[in-house]
Amino acid sequence: MTGIHSLSLFALLVATAPLAAQDLAMPEGDVLLTVTGAITVANDGDAAAFDRAMLEDLDPVTVKTTTIWTDGVQTFTGVPLDRLMDVVGATGAAIDATAINDYSVEIPASDWEDGGPIVAFLNNGETMSVRDKGPLWIVWPFDDNPEFQTETIYSRSIWQLDRIVVTE
Amino acid sequence: MSEHRAPKSTRRYRGLGLLRDSRVGAAAVALILCVGLVVGIAVLVLRQIDEFSTAASDNVQWSLAQTDVEYLRYELAIADAEARATPATIEAIRRRFDVFYSRMSTLANGDVFELLRADPAFEDPRQEIEAHLQATIPLIDGPDADLLAALPQLAEDAAAISGDVRAMTLEGLASFANVSDSKREGLVRTLALLAAVLATIFAGLALVAVSLYRLMRLSDDRAREVQLGAARTRTIVETSLDSIFVIDASGHIAEMNGTARHMFGFDETEAGMPLERLFADAGEGHLREGPLSFLASGAAPAIHERRFEATAKDAHGRHFPAEISIGKADGEGDPVYIAYVRDISRRKIAEQGLTEARDRALAGERAKSEFLAVMSHEMRTPLNGLLGSMQLLRDHDLTERQTDLLDRMQSSGKLLLGLVNDVLDLTKLEAGKMEIERRPMSVARLLDGVVETVAPLATEAGDTLDWAWVGPARDACIGDQRRLRQVLLNLVGNAVKFTRDGSVAIEVEALGDNRTVEFRVIDTGVGISERDLERIFNDFETLDSSYSRQVGGTGLGLGISQRLVGLMEGEIGAESEQGEGSLFWVRVPIAGDTTDRTLSVARKAVAEPRPLPPLNLLLVEDNPINRAVAREMLEADGHRVTEAFDGAAGVDWARARRFDAILMDISMPVMDGIEAAREITRDGRASAGVPILAVTAHALPEEIDGFRAAGMAHIISKPIDRDELSSTLAAAVLPESERPASAAPVSQDAARLIDNAHLGAVWRDLPPAARETLLTRALAEIDETVTEVSGTDIPDDPNAVRETVHRAAGSCAALGFTAMHRALAEIETCLKRDGLVPSAPRDALPHLWSGTRNALEDWRSAA
Repeated sequence: MTGIHSLSLFALLVATAPLAAQDLAMPEGDVLLTVTGAITVANDGDAAAFDRAMLEDLDPVTVKTTTIWTDGVQTFTGVPLDRLMDVVGATGAAIDATAINDYSVEIPASDWEDGGPIVAFLNNGETMSVRDKGPLWIVWPFDDNPEFQTETIYSRSIWQLDRIVVTE
Repeated sequence: MSEHRAPKSTRRYRGLGLLRDSRVGAAAVALILCVGLVVGIAVLVLRQIDEFSTAASDNVQWSLAQTDVEYLRYELAIADAEARATPATIEAIRRRFDVFYSRMSTLANGDVFELLRADPAFEDPRQEIEAHLQATIPLIDGPDADLLAALPQLAEDAAAISGDVRAMTLEGLASFANVSDSKREGLVRTLALLAAVLATIFAGLALVAVSLYRLMRLSDDRAREVQLGAARTRTIVETSLDSIFVIDASGHIAEMNGTARHMFGFDETEAGMPLERLFADAGEGHLREGPLSFLASGAAPAIHERRFEATAKDAHGRHFPAEISIGKADGEGDPVYIAYVRDISRRKIAEQGLTEARDRALAGERAKSEFLAVMSHEMRTPLNGLLGSMQLLRDHDLTERQTDLLDRMQSSGKLLLGLVNDVLDLTKLEAGKMEIERRPMSVARLLDGVVETVAPLATEAGDTLDWAWVGPARDACIGDQRRLRQVLLNLVGNAVKFTRDGSVAIEVEALGDNRTVEFRVIDTGVGISERDLERIFNDFETLDSSYSRQVGGTGLGLGISQRLVGLMEGEIGAESEQGEGSLFWVRVPIAGDTTDRTLSVARKAVAEPRPLPPLNLLLVEDNPINRAVAREMLEADGHRVTEAFDGAAGVDWARARRFDAILMDISMPVMDGIEAAREITRDGRASAGVPILAVTAHALPEEIDGFRAAGMAHIISKPIDRDELSSTLAAAVLPESERPASAAPVSQDAARLIDNAHLGAVWRDLPPAARETLLTRALAEIDETVTEVSGTDIPDDPNAVRETVHRAAGSCAALGFTAMHRALAEIETCLKRDGLVPSAPRDALPHLWSGTRNALEDWRSAA
């Protein structure tokens, strides 16, 4: 555990140090995601708004996994949730993630871990339309860990995500 | 009680064993069953756990319900836009369509809904909906104006699928409810199974607990028994009167009992010391290499090694004799030896005491025996003088009265001599010094003599006395005539003593075994009671003291008779009826292989004195009376006698003058007869080679050998009998050819064993160096021939045998072995004629050959 902690701490130091500046870029395209609540970094009043280019700049990762909602192995590319939370300087204990279809779910901070959920913006290398559960989908690498194959995690795998509120 | 109990308990134990065996089997089976069950259930449960640990779906019910919701919101968005057509409401239609579309594509592609898709009741409406969505896409993706224009149509289409959406979600819900039910049922089944298995395992555990409890009880019992046994063993060991040591393989003492500590004065702490410390002579490795050598190999001691005696040594240095018994305790691991050590000091002292007492008693017995022998011997010397004088007195003119007195004196003297002889015989018998001769004898002559001797007594008692054969007569026998005569005289004498005016009959019978002759002395006298019959053969046994005093007797007669008969390998016994008479019987194996009657005829010749030419004799005798008697007897026969008073004087006389023969008394002061004879033989000077005759009262067989070795080939026994004196003298001095056939039992056919003159001539002619070699070879050759011929009737190769016999016969002829030559020649003739060995000469051959060899020895010692 210590190893993981120190590792994630190291990753945090290396990966976020240059980005930890107050000056979060302003979105130029359509805003895909708006983060509000207990955050320290914002670019639109109290909110941090992200367009696709901004997300693509946040060192996206790609995971390979099956899901219960799709057929066959899928690749998802996106920003790890913990990194995203670092970027916005989230200080809360959880997030309330809400979708276009108004589905909403609370994801505790304990889930934001290395190897944990990513905020995917590509499915099988392609952008996701709303019809394809886009534009954003919080996906866990389900196949990597049986602990991710629970109803709780499934319920937290929110698709058609468009806003996040970091709660205290 | 214990006898009844024992088998029961055995059965119980055996039953227990069986029970235990079957229980072990059952326990094993139960264990395997349990393990199987547990493994089975574990697999099942693990699978279940696995299944429940990861969810196959999220909340499908919610998803399905959401389809309904999203459809309605899509329919609402259309209605909204129809009512108020703004870009926002148009955009809302697109958003709601996309969300609805997305939900439907989840139902179309999600793994979770695969099962539902197989259900036509679900799949058919879904496809209807999908068809609507697909048909609507161009409109949705098209320009706002087109969409706006198509709104009424869109609302209508959307409404058209409302039923499908409802049917699909309801069907999906029902289906998932079923799945949920069946899952729950599966779970219930698994849990029930689990419960059953748990119950089974619990039962098994209970059973195991019961078994363990019983095993514990059993092991407690065992432990108690073992404890009891150990306590008992400890008590046995501790109360043992012997020291007990437990010794390890290296020969060190591991444990010892209380007796050991006490006996050896050891403390408890001294265990562990080497075994040698217990023994006095252990320092030299004596024990390790000796009685304890098995320790080195770690083997169990062999039977002869288990017990030995040694000198033990205690802690204070006291030495004591000990008996050690040692054994190996079998078991696992290093060998352990158990040694019992017993202090046998007291036993040794007792043994020593006994030995000393026995030695003392034996010494006393010997002294008494010697005293008796010496006394009897000493009594015989004066008796000899008396009897000899009486015999000589008859040569003078006597009145009838004097003759009568002389008769009585002589008969008393003879009686006295008989008593003395009895005692001497007994002494000899007790000392084992009497030997039995086996010579040809005549039964008739023996019994005639007995009857003749006892007849005067019988007449005096008014008894008739005679003897007769019962069954066919077998006169010629081989045995000790003198001893047999002694026995019969005793029996007949007793019969006459205890019979008044009756009859005494002697019966003799050759028994069927062709060996034994039975003599029966039957009287009609007073008889003997049954009780007394048992003890009459004891020494000094006189039944009726007053009567026996009247008739006289030492009471030794029957005891001596029994011993003599025993020596002759015979039996003696008695039967009697009080007042009716007695029967004494003697069975002796004397009817052996006698060659023929001529032997007894030849024997008879011994009794007839032959005239001897006057001889010049030296008489060496210390006793003046004996000397005088002998001298008188010799002079009466016309010989000249020179007297010497002791051995030394005898030697001097012999060396000084030549005599024809020397008569030598044996026991004499200064120099005894044997030594004197040896001196004369060694260096006789004037009398060199003169025959020396031993005159003795105690001629034991081994003494006779001594006499011979000293150069005395002939023996005259005391008291001197005139006839014996002259015949022995004749045998000693006359050449073989002229003497009566008395020295050796020789048949008339083969009157001469050796032609002395011939042999002498041959001997003289031969060069001295060659003589011995030649003789030895010839003797060996004849020896072999005799052995070969004696063993065969019909030889395999008659010619080879004949040649051997021919060669031996030639040798015999050359050496003058007349009788042997004759016998071998007869065998040779027979072989040549029939190829058979004739039985008569063959059977006689060994006897003839041994006689010849004796005669040869005589000749050589004389030469």
